[in-house]
This record gives sequence, C-alpha cells and structure tokens, in this order.
Amino acid sequence: MASTTDLPLPALPEAQPEKPAGIVDWVTTVDHKKIGILYIVTSFAIFLVGGFLALLVRTELARPGLQTMGLNTYNQVFSMHGTLMIFLFAAQVSTGLANFLVPLQIGAADVAFPRANAMSYWLYLFGSLIVLSSFFVAGGPAAAGWTAYPPLSTSYLQGTGMDLWVIGLAVVGIAGILGAVNLVTTIFRLRVPGMTMFRMPLFTWGVLVNQLLILFAFPALTATLAMLLLDRKFGADFFEAAVGGSQVLYQHIFWFFGHPEVYIIILPIFGVISEVIPVFARKPLFGYRAMVFAFFAIAALSFGVWAHHMFTTGVVYLPYFSLMSLLIAVPTGVKVFNWIGTMWRGSIRFTPAMLMAMGFILVFVVGGITGVFLASPPIDFAVNDTYYVVAHFHYIMVGGLLFGMFAAFYFWFPKLTGRRLSERLGHWQFWTFLIGFNLTFFVQFLVGLDGMPRRIADYQITRWTSANEVSTVGSYLLGVSVLLFLWDFLMSVRRGRPAGDDPWEGNSLEWVTTSPPPHHNFHHIPPIHSERPAFDRRHGEELAGVSDPESKDRG
Amino acid sequence: MAAGCAPRSVTEQGRAIEGAYNLFLYVAAVVFALVSGLVVWSVVRYRRRGDELPEQTHGHNTLELLWTLIPTVIVLGLFWVTLQAQDEVQTPASRPALTVDATAFQWSWRFRYEDSGAEVAGGPGNIPELVVPVGQPVRVRLRSADVVHSFYVPQALFKRQAIPGVTNEFDLTFEKVGIYHGQCTQFCGLAHADMMFRVRVVSQGEFQSWMASATRSGAPGQPGT
Amino acid sequence: MTDEAAVMLRVSAFGFVAGAIYWFLSYEWLGTVALLLLGAGPGFAGLILVHEQRQRGGAAESRANTLRRFAGFPPRDPEGPDDLEAEDLGVLPLPTIWPFAAGLGVAILLTGLIYGLWLVVLGAGICAYATWGWLAAVNRENRYGRVMADTRPSSPAAAPAEATGPTPAAAARDPAEEPPQRPGRRRGRGRGRSGPADG
Repeated sequence: MASTTDLPLPALPEAQPEKPAGIVDWVTTVDHKKIGILYIVTSFAIFLVGGFLALLVRTELARPGLQTMGLNTYNQVFSMHGTLMIFLFAAQVSTGLANFLVPLQIGAADVAFPRANAMSYWLYLFGSLIVLSSFFVAGGPAAAGWTAYPPLSTSYLQGTGMDLWVIGLAVVGIAGILGAVNLVTTIFRLRVPGMTMFRMPLFTWGVLVNQLLILFAFPALTATLAMLLLDRKFGADFFEAAVGGSQVLYQHIFWFFGHPEVYIIILPIFGVISEVIPVFARKPLFGYRAMVFAFFAIAALSFGVWAHHMFTTGVVYLPYFSLMSLLIAVPTGVKVFNWIGTMWRGSIRFTPAMLMAMGFILVFVVGGITGVFLASPPIDFAVNDTYYVVAHFHYIMVGGLLFGMFAAFYFWFPKLTGRRLSERLGHWQFWTFLIGFNLTFFVQFLVGLDGMPRRIADYQITRWTSANEVSTVGSYLLGVSVLLFLWDFLMSVRRGRPAGDDPWEGNSLEWVTTSPPPHHNFHHIPPIHSERPAFDRRHGEELAGVSDPESKDRG
Repeated sequence: MAAGCAPRSVTEQGRAIEGAYNLFLYVAAVVFALVSGLVVWSVVRYRRRGDELPEQTHGHNTLELLWTLIPTVIVLGLFWVTLQAQDEVQTPASRPALTVDATAFQWSWRFRYEDSGAEVAGGPGNIPELVVPVGQPVRVRLRSADVVHSFYVPQALFKRQAIPGVTNEFDLTFEKVGIYHGQCTQFCGLAHADMMFRVRVVSQGEFQSWMASATRSGAPGQPGT
Repeated sequence: MTDEAAVMLRVSAFGFVAGAIYWFLSYEWLGTVALLLLGAGPGFAGLILVHEQRQRGGAAESRANTLRRFAGFPPRDPEGPDDLEAEDLGVLPLPTIWPFAAGLGVAILLTGLIYGLWLVVLGAGICAYATWGWLAAVNRENRYGRVMADTRPSSPAAAPAEATGPTPAAAARDPAEEPPQRPGRRRGRGRGRSGPADG
C-alpha cells in the first residue's frame, strides 16, 4: 500500500502550550528557515559596516595626502574592512541562503541537527560581536590586515583589539565547522527518496562542496588563530625566527586555509547562478554532470594552490603551485561555458535576477582571467601586493560574490517572504551596480600595473591621482546602489506584491511549496525523476522523458 | 596610465616578465572577447519572444569535452611559458659585479655594500638611495630586522619579501641609467606607506667615484622629497 | 559504495595523490602533512560510510559499478517503488533557548582567554548549564518517539494549500493517537511510541 506518488507528511506536535512570539521566537528558534533569515540579516548588516569602511578607504585615497584620517586609523580601517567582509559576511550570507534553501531543495523538513544549527548561528553572532567590539577598546581594532601576518600581529601590535580579533574569529570558525557538519549530514542523509545525488539541484551541490571545504579548511584557521593567541599572550614562539620559530610557517598554514576560503565564498554563488540561468532561459542546465565534476575539481585544486599567495617569499616550490593555479581555470571555464550553453537557444527573460546573473558572468570572467596572470610566478613578482591584486580579488569578491548574492536575493526573496521586490528598482540597482563597480575597480588594474602598492594610506606619485579619483567616484555609486537595494528590500518586505508559490516557474523543489513555506516545509512532495522536479510537475505528461539528463539528446 | 597596460622593464631579468605578460594578455583578451561576445549574442538573439518552451537540451558531450580539453592545453602552454620566464628571472648570475646586503626595518631600508663596507641608511623623512652600476648584475641579499617587508621596484617588475629569519638572494641587472622608485609592499605597520627607497643606476665610472667617496665618508641616505 | 561515500573517497584520493606528488617535488613538510591529512580525514569518513552500508545490508555491487560510482558515473538505479520506509521525516525539535545559551557560553569562555580565568570559569559554567538543559530537552522530546510516515496516498489533485498553517489532515492526526505500527520496522532514537504532547 506504499504510495509512489505524493508523499504525505507525518503529524508534528503543532499543539504547543503557548506559541512564543516576537524576540523570544527568534532567540529560541530551531527552524532552519528562521535561522537562515537570521544569518542573512546579520551578515548583510555586517556588509553595510564593511562597505562603509571601504568608502572611508576610498575617500582617503582619492587624492595624495592624508585628508581624513591618520596612518594608524587608516590601517585599522582597511584591516577591519577585509576582516568583516571576508570572515564575517561573505561566507555567511551563503550559509544563510543554504540554511533556508537546502532542506527545501532536497525535500526535508529541516536540517539534520536543528538545535546545533541554531547554535551555529548564535556562535556566529557572538563571534562577530566580539570582533566588532574591538572598535571600542583602548587602542582600537586590529591593524594587521585580514591576513594578520606575524611578527606584526604577535609582537608588534599590542592592545586588546588584536586579541579580540583572534578570539572573535575563532568563535566564528567553530560556528562554521559545526554548520558544515550539519549541512553535509543533511545533504547526505535527508534527501527525499528518488532524489539521488545526481538529481540534486546545483545550489545544493554548491553548498555541499562549500561545506566540505569549510570542514577541511577551517581547522587550519583555528590552528592558526590558536597559535597567534599563544604567541601573543602565553609566551609561545611559533613564529619567532630568532628563537627557532618560523614566520613562513604562518604563511603556509594561513593560506592552506585562506585559499579554500575564497572558494568557500564563491562556490555557493556558482550554485546560485546555475539555478537562476536555467529558470530564466527556460532550459535545463547545460551539462549538469560536468558542472558537478567542475565543483569537485575546483574544490580539490583549491587545496593545492595555497602557496601562490607566497610566490614572492622566495621559499616555496613555484612550479607545483603555478601549475595547480593555472589548472583551476579549466573547471571554472567549463562552468562559464555551461552557463552560456544554457542560455544558448533559450528563451530569456530579463528579470533583475537574470540581469545580475549576466553581470556576474561578465565581471567574474575578468576576475578569473586576471587570476591566471597571478598564477604565473614571474608575472606575480611584478604585480603581487599591488592594486592589480586588489582589483583581481574585488572583481571576484564584489563582482562575483555580490552580483551572485543580488541574483540570489532577487530570485528567492519571494520564497522567503511571500512578496516580490520591485522590478523597476531592480533594474536601476543593477545598472548602478554594474557601472559603479567597473568604475571603482577597473582603474585599479591599471594603477597596480603602474606600481601602486596595496595597503598604503597615502601615495606621493601624482600620476596615480586621476585613477584613484575615478575609483572613489565609482565606490560612491556602488554605495548608492546598495542603498537602493536596501530601500527596495525594506519596502517590499511589508508592502511588496504577493508572490505566490512559484512566481518564476522555477525548477527545484522549493517552488513546489508555499511562499513562505509552512513550518514543516511541505504539504506534499511530488515524485522526483530528474533534477527539475517543479518543472516536471508543471509540464508533466507533455514532456515525459525529456527531463532525463541521461536521455539521448546529447551530441 | 596606458603604460600600465604593457609593463616595461628596466632590468634584464624583467624582460622575460614583459614577454610572458604580453602573451598572457593576448590570450586573456581573446578569451574575454569570446566569452563576452557569446554572452552578449545570447542576450540579444535569445530574448523571450513567446510562451513556447525552447528545446530542452541537456548537454553535448563532444562540445563539453572540447571546451575542457582546449583550455587545458592553453593553460599548459601558459605554464610552459611561465617556466621559461621564471628560469630567466631567477637564474643567478655567474659572477655578480657587487653584492648589497639590504635590510628592511620599520620603516626604511639599509643598504650595505659587501666589498667596501659602504652603507646607506634611511630614516624618517629620509629616503635611502641604492646606487648601482648600469649593465652589471647586482646581487641583493635581503633580510628583515623586524616584521615581514617586501623589496619592490616597480620598473624592475620585481619584488621579494624580507622575512625575519630568512635571507633572500636575487640578482638585478639594470639596463638603463636613471632613478627608479622603490617601495615596501608588504604591510608592515604604522608607516608602511612611507617606507620608500630609490635605485639610482649610474654609469660604471660614476659608480666608482661614488663608491670611493661613500667608503671614505659614509654616505647617508638622500634627504627625502 | 553509496554516492556519498564516493564523494568522500574522491576527496581522499586527491589528498593522498597530491600530497605524495608535492612531497617528492618540494620536500616541504607542512604542505605535505596538510594534504595527507586531507586524504586521511575524508577517507576515514568515506570508509565509515562504506562499512555502514555493508552493515545495513546494501545490495552487493559489481566491481565495475563500484568503480563507476567512485568516478562519479553511478549506474542508473532502477526506478522502483520509492522506499517510503525510509521516510522517517521525524519530529522537529521544539523551540529552545539552549543553543543560544551554549553559544553564549562558548563565546564567553573563549573571551576569557584574553581577560582572565574568572571569565573562562563563567563561560564554562554557562556551557555546562546549557549542555545540561540541552540534553534534558532532547531526552524529553525523545519520549515522543519517531512518528512513522503515513503512506496512504493523498488525493492526486491535491494542490498545495495557500494557507501556511497546519493542514486539516495534519490537525486530524492527533499526536496522542497511536499510528499503525509497521511490523518489525522501528527506526531512529527513542522508543518508537508516540506520547502525549509535553509542555
């Protein structure tokens, strides 16, 4: 009497003595949907702070001379900008999306360990507060860059600010590892029957690989932070060359974590783009299996390239890291070609989400290509630690991450809130972002090639001034764009048009349920025969057998 | 600013980097033009024109194989170019004309000429000048007195980190007379932005006389601008 | 092996191979150890998954298929009746303060490393209290046992309700009512009986 069609849900103890309300609701929640929203809101708030710090940096650098702040303040501002953005925003905004979406995409009622999931979020919040508190202690926040190289960070920067930096990040690291265990287990164990691994949506694959990366890379960060603290406060000398330690040891361990970290940041975004484009092009993702393999190839290679951040140390084996770094361009390129292949002969609708995905591809390709330059040690000797590198990683982190993040927000906002964002404001926001972004960062390639180092509060070479002025103007435009989004978001959360279950004719399982989903996520789940269950349900008999990725319509 | 697009080197070692960079740039330009062209074309040609579902292709094995193999070959080619350039940049000269012990410290530089013992040291507001003869390999032995710094001469297309506990050696053969800006480019604390130096490349004769007077009088750093 | 085990074992293979190559090229200790650990960790996890599948009595697979699965090309699983026995969607935990408290405890404990032993002790105390409360909550909720999935098909035309509250079907299933027990199948933690709702 087992049914092979719809899957009714078990009863749940809905009858609770009193339903918690307001802040109690949020503090005691173990619902992955609420936790996902908490992650997104918190990380976005941190993003705004980090963005403000960036505007301070750009304002100072527009012209030669220290106009707005002293040397130490500048060093603190850029260090905290990097720290907030990389450690406290970039990975967590994707974690928030993953928290909300992955159980929905795989047909589960929640993640594998809902209470631990909540604990991960609170650890993230408290860790972030610890880092942010460093702004308010004597001496101010850390000023060693987000990379915190010793001996600068151990022996030369006294003060609690640096200590709080270390501890706060350690707490956030624990949150990450705990969350990774949770999400990997969820994806491995809680998929609805019929959803084999090769029928999972690409966003879920991206999250799986991203969480595996976190699982294997974050312990290196925790080790690094522990050693920093031991060196700073407990008399250890891991990194003191004079007494037998090694500074290069730090660089190795830090970058063994640090390089996978940037892939941790971008891989879920690849998943987002792989969801958005098929929906708005009305075609299945081109080369699903290749995309999965590409995820794994990128993740694996990302563990083999760490010392390309150390080419200029003179003490690493250059060819190995150069080859690995060059090779990582191949699976990344495969992904780009597959996205284009998805659009090719499609029927494309240009919603803000799709525009953002297009912007992502163009901008990310520039970032990726400039990465290939950096993978070559001789070229790296010339441009490392200059604004060329700054432009490269901002093309990936701001271009890639933020375009992808906005695409995700425009795409999934209806599912999270039940309302729609403004299409008109979305178009405005896209264009201001695209223009502002390129104005800010493209000139940085040029000025970096001309020799402008990074992390400098000031410069005296006046021929760099015009580029810096352009960059600053661009950054203000970026700020306007972000504010536009914020405005749209705040207005639409309360007063947006109701969205309905499936405003975009989506492909994956989350579009089958209501917007927002009920507490237990689904009232019923359709059978899973491909990676596009919602599409299959919509088109049913009409396209029977077409959704099979193994089918013969492959050249 | 346009000079930024095609960096030029004033050292012999840096010439190899010029070549590698230009090749990478051509490949990059082609790839970017191809990808953005395809994206723009898709956007224009495949706008939604009706409600009909387009053909639901899932992939194309041959095409996917091609666009995996071809980039791999290109990348391996770039790797080979890299190895050649790297050899040229890093191969130490058989007989350097002189050796300079360079020490980076917070926040300036000290250059000591090994043979003669002449020393040039910088300090606050005082940018040290490294004087070297043109056309001769100069061996630099780079050390740090405190934190990690980086010895960077933009027009030599070269930098190397100064790491406490590590001695880095490299050769620079300047091919053109002139004064070249140098700067620390590894964040090293408060006045990192001010940690500059200059390389003054002079003719052989001028170098001899400079060296003679420096050894006699102990040349200080040049007053900064 | 399962696809999940294959994922872990692929990562592991990469770690070992890359680590070995790296060692013989560079003789650099740290990177080598790190890569070998990258091989060992997921390898261990993968082997556990394989072992567990054997224990569960997974169907024996031909060597060729195992290799295919390892390579990422799993054989087409037959489209049989979906195994709804595995549909133990389970009981969602009730809202609880303990994750918040435990997170707070850990944060305070670690901050104590800067400010002094007193803060470490305070943090440890909060952690201990939170752990106790957490375990008590788990224990209490486990007494519900696992609720078996109802496998009667709902109406084929059932569209998802617009309402976000509990469906009439769910409300009709009173938690106090004992669902039909499947003979011989009892999975999950707890004693497999549903009990009255606990406050």
